[in-house]
Parts: sequence; structure tokens; C-alpha cells
Amino acid sequence: MTNENETSKTREPSSDLEQLEQRLDKLKAKHKKPEQDTDAGSLLGMAWRLSTELVVAVLVGTGLGHLLDRVFGTAPWILLVGLGFGFAAGIMNTLRVAEKMDAATSHLPIGDDLPDEDENDF
Amino acid sequence: MANNPMEQFKIKEIFDGPQIGPIDLSFTNSSLWMVIGSLAVIIFLGLSARGKLIPGRLQSMGEMSYEFIADMLRDTTGPEAAKWFPYVFTLFFFILFANLVGMNPYAFTTTSHIAVTAALAVFTILLVIIAGIWKNGLKWFKIFAPSGLPLIMYPIIIPIEIISFLSRPVTLAVRLFANMTAGHVMLKLFAIFIAYLVGKDALSAGMAIVPIMGTAAIVALEFLVAALQAFVFAILTCVYLNDVYHVDH
Repeated sequence: MTNENETSKTREPSSDLEQLEQRLDKLKAKHKKPEQDTDAGSLLGMAWRLSTELVVAVLVGTGLGHLLDRVFGTAPWILLVGLGFGFAAGIMNTLRVAEKMDAATSHLPIGDDLPDEDENDF
Repeated sequence: MANNPMEQFKIKEIFDGPQIGPIDLSFTNSSLWMVIGSLAVIIFLGLSARGKLIPGRLQSMGEMSYEFIADMLRDTTGPEAAKWFPYVFTLFFFILFANLVGMNPYAFTTTSHIAVTAALAVFTILLVIIAGIWKNGLKWFKIFAPSGLPLIMYPIIIPIEIISFLSRPVTLAVRLFANMTAGHVMLKLFAIFIAYLVGKDALSAGMAIVPIMGTAAIVALEFLVAALQAFVFAILTCVYLNDVYHVDH
């Protein structure tokens, strides 16, 4: 009994406008979720991209060195040089990709809908 | 049911084909699901291309996908690259539908084999090389030697640029293949775990709710990954096509 009274009391002062606001908030919360999901997905994609870029360049450099070693019979020297060059190429690729990602995000048309302070901390 | 999470990637011959040199032209389950994926693309685009003035749902999906790829190509490669649109569009939809069709139970995911993704990647990079030489002549090889460096840097920078260029098809192939394989293995492991728990005893069967929820979450994630990887492959193709038109970078 008392419980029911309390709930009816708390409900009474909330005007139509407040109710509408609550409903809007609920809807907004619903619509926010997929956005966050795609965001996490693209962050995962970014991480994938940067890491594969680095690893693959090292592997390609080492592989090329190994091939040249087989051709000239100078194992393992060209392989070691290839490893070094591959690592350099990997770092260069990773930096290039990161630069492009930065450029892509900074060119977003933000308009007057600036992000909140707590939205930015990741 | 198979208890091995790698069992799903096994190639099975459906009917024999001719053997040409080292190439076995048998029709396998991988080929079957490639055909099914391609047919799904054709059906989707066929249904969406009805050309009404006020588009229905399907038609606007088709139009949106056209604009999506066209915008991507224009923004990343430039307006002169519009003639590459059919290639990028085909690539995107083939990978997208191969991934999505592979998400069905009992289906085979063709993109979980590096042979398939590597073939697509090699095709892309060969196109870049051939079109680059076709358009710029031997000047195209300048992309390996950026201008404006002291002479002493060239012996170092040229091998680095060549390795960087050659690693492109490898990254393309490895990324798609690794994403699809890892996702499907994870899905299978969770599913096997459910079957194991349910089969053990009543208490464990109750605990199976945890991997069931995990499986549901991974299925959702996998659909996201399926679309994302198709997009990544297509947009990187556009980025690499840049080298055909912008030799001095």
C-alpha cells in the first residue's frame, strides 16, 4: 500500500515535459549503443592494421633476404641485412598509416557539436 | 559434430575436375560457397536495380552501396580513378558476401583460406603495377625513389620502399584471412565448450549459459568483422591505386 502511494506521489509532479524528456533520454541511450560498437570495431581495425603492417614488412624483408641468399649462396648475411631493411620498412609503413589515420580523424567536420570533455579520454 | 575447431576449414572435393599441370581444377566446397556468395551478390543487385523513381528499401540499399563505393574511390584515389569503380565494387561485394554467407551454420567461409585472400591481393597489386607502367611508362618506378633526398640516402631508401611495396599484398591477404579464421575458430571453441558442459552433468549444464552468451556476443562481433574487413580490403585497394596516378609523392 505505502509503496504504491509513494510511486504515485513521485509520478505526480513529473509533468508531460519531463516524461517526454525521460523518453527521449531512453531513446538516445538506445541509439548510442550501435555507434559505440562501430567505434570499437574501427579501433580494433586500426590496431590490426598497424600491427600487421609492422610484422609483415619484417617478414617480407627477411624473406627477400633469404631468397637472395639462396641465389648467391651467401647465407646468412643478406637475410640479416633484409631483416634490418624489413624492420625499417615496417616502422615507415606503420608511421605512414598512423599519419593517415590522424589526418582522417582531424578532417572530420565537427561543426558546433563539440565533443564533451569526458567523451575524449581514450 | 566435429570436435576439432579446425575441421571447419577442411577442403572437400565435391566433384572431380581435370588436372592441369600442378593445378587441380576440382570443384570443392570452397568453390561451391564462392559460387553461392557470387549468386547472392547477383540476386541482391538484380533485385535492387529496378530503377523506380522513388526507391523502395532494396533499391535504396543498392543505390547506397553504389554511392558508398563511388565516394570511397573518389575521396581516396581521386576523380580520375572512376574507371576502377567496377573492380573495387566487385571486390568489396565478393568479399562481403563471402564473409556473410560463411557466417551461416554448416557453410564454408572461403575467405578463411589464405590461398583465396592472397589471390585477391595479388590480383590487386598486379593491377596497380600493370596500370602504373601502362600509364606512366618506366617513370612509374620512381615511386620507389622519392625525389629530393641526398644521394647517399638512396641505397637505403630504395630497398626499404621496395619491401614496403611488396608487403602490401601480404598485409591485405593476411589481415582478411587471419580475421576470418580467428573469428570462426573462436566461435567453434565456444560452441564445443557448450556441448561439453551440457553433456557432463546437470550443474555444468546450468553453467553453459556463460559460453552461450559468449557465443552470441562473438556472432555479433563476427558480423561486424565480416563487413569491416570487406571495407578495409576495398579501401586499401583504393589507397594502393593511388600509386598509379600519383607517382611523385
